[in-house]
Amino acid sequence: MSKVIIIKGKGVLSDSRKINTNKLRRMYQRGFCRLTGENSPQKALRALFANNEKVGIKINTIAGKKLSTPPPVSLELAQFLHTGDIPKKNLVVWDRTNRELKTAGYNLNKHRKGIQIFGTDTQDVGYSERPISHLQIGSLFSNIQKNIISSSISLAILKDHGIAGVTAGMKNYFGSIHNPNKYHDNHCDPFVAELFDTSFIQRKHRLTILDALVVQYHLGPSFHSSWAEKLESLVFGLDPVATDRVGWNIIAKLRSQKNLPSLEEEGRVPSYLFTAQKMGLGEGDLNKIEIQEEEI
Amino acid sequence: MDRRQFIKSASTTSLLASPGMCALCKNLYSFTDKVNISHREARYYKQLPHKEIECKLCPRLCKLGDKERGYCGVRENEGGTYNTLVYGKACAAHVDPIEKKPLFHFLPSSRALSIATAGCNVHCKFCQNWEISQKRPEQVHNIDLPPSSVVRSAQKYDCPVIAYTYSEPVVFYEYMYDTSKTARTEGIKNAVITGAYINPEPLEDLLTVVDAIKIDLKAFTQKFYSEYVRGKLQPVLDAIKMVSQSDVWLEIVYLVIPTLNDSPEEIQSLCRWVRKETSPDIPVHFSRFHPMYLLKNLPPTPISTLERCRQIALDEGIHFSYVGNVPGHKGESTYCPQCHNTLIKRRAYQIQKINLHQGRCKFCDTPIPGIWS
Repeated sequence: MSKVIIIKGKGVLSDSRKINTNKLRRMYQRGFCRLTGENSPQKALRALFANNEKVGIKINTIAGKKLSTPPPVSLELAQFLHTGDIPKKNLVVWDRTNRELKTAGYNLNKHRKGIQIFGTDTQDVGYSERPISHLQIGSLFSNIQKNIISSSISLAILKDHGIAGVTAGMKNYFGSIHNPNKYHDNHCDPFVAELFDTSFIQRKHRLTILDALVVQYHLGPSFHSSWAEKLESLVFGLDPVATDRVGWNIIAKLRSQKNLPSLEEEGRVPSYLFTAQKMGLGEGDLNKIEIQEEEI
Repeated sequence: MDRRQFIKSASTTSLLASPGMCALCKNLYSFTDKVNISHREARYYKQLPHKEIECKLCPRLCKLGDKERGYCGVRENEGGTYNTLVYGKACAAHVDPIEKKPLFHFLPSSRALSIATAGCNVHCKFCQNWEISQKRPEQVHNIDLPPSSVVRSAQKYDCPVIAYTYSEPVVFYEYMYDTSKTARTEGIKNAVITGAYINPEPLEDLLTVVDAIKIDLKAFTQKFYSEYVRGKLQPVLDAIKMVSQSDVWLEIVYLVIPTLNDSPEEIQSLCRWVRKETSPDIPVHFSRFHPMYLLKNLPPTPISTLERCRQIALDEGIHFSYVGNVPGHKGESTYCPQCHNTLIKRRAYQIQKINLHQGRCKFCDTPIPGIWS
């Protein structure tokens, strides 16, 4: 049975939504321990990563400063990974463009010591030279995903999505190709699943972490404060389909609480998750997913 | 430079081998390495509540939230205003012979200043210019070439035609429209090379400022359009009909891909449709496919298949049918539908002989449809 961990960090966000990094670190520690069954954060890290790995943290900065991965969220994760003896220079926080990273508040760092932060459009990085074809996907792949990193964490913002229904860990990898705009037909189905199925992603993906500190449960993926709920949670999963399925469930509950029509009623069910399940990428049936929740 | 030298140089320097520009163009303009995009309000969209918009330019009708881009990748919702990111931002500019488009009944042997921007509103697996059409404007090198500069360049390089081509001009509609309008005031004609995936209203407006349209009809089945183009056939057929009913010159090109869209039945249906719904005078070109982009597993189209397609067209009553991408083939030339003499003898992009006088066959005086001067 696939296991998904939801860690709620009460008080991790102040009233002004400033992040308490001490609390955030504890959320990561608990999430990794619960996910691996280890009793210490270091053991949990070692269970997931070798210390010579180059770990990519794929964040999401497409929606501007208000709804992108905040720097403390990704940098605290990177610091935590570093406590598992992964050198800082082997930790890459990345997304499509440097412009979007900077808009989201990141200070770029490609050549200096420390945690690496840069976009695919950085000089000498770029995309694969030739298109890579897999099922219905035909794209150039970010050289960060393809060549630079050896393992990957999808650190995605959990959001409602007008076309896909829900955007979470799997769809976050749309940011690793040059032409994501070509894959939004039919509620992104089967494209999200087929992109994830490519070797550069599936082989390297190690875990999904959904940033549900603030959840845009309606009219996403753009930011609308009226429909953004402070949940103060992180969702951890080794099964990419199950983790996103739980993410969908979180959005469904919020929509229900706010008397909004369900995604089914709005005709935008994230059916790519069912396709992903059929392709053997993970578990999409909520009844077959063990959800563990903890508040710290 | 005489005509022969020009054609030779143009046909060798205008090939789009990279997302940048050919050697000729590098001498014309200078590049900038910085991201160079526009933020000019687009036409044909509707503002919706909560800063959402619906694009009305093409049949996709993309509905987008703030900061999202359409399928084309070159139009973005910026705070509830839908902007084109490629207005005056050309990623390719070449001088081509008009025969390269191909337009065979439109000012033969004339030079066409040919421009393109990044982006496309379909996703053909066999795209020959995917390095610009399937990219976003930030992923190619753009130069500042506003409409007035395009027109000035056409004059400078002795081009009586400006062609909007290579990628998909529908996605740079505003740029094309304004350039065409300016060009007309200077006596320069405008030719559009397109897949015609466009809605009726913008097409109707475009037809008031351009002179010729070449439409790539990629197949005659919805199945092919779904699987290999990611679009719908019917809007393209509607666009063909609309252009054929206007004063704008129209030619149709059909890229024949082995096993996918080359059955005699499909070609026959296509030709019957053209004759019945438009006119037998509209030229239909059958072009040779070469393995490209995501369709590399198929061989080039056998020449015999192209000959068969052309013969089906002629048998179905299409007056002008051509074989394309086969230099030196007799099917590249134009023949009088009445007396069958050679009217325009072509070899690749070269015109070797023209037997037309004031748009009529020199041998039997039959009027030949087209724009000849």
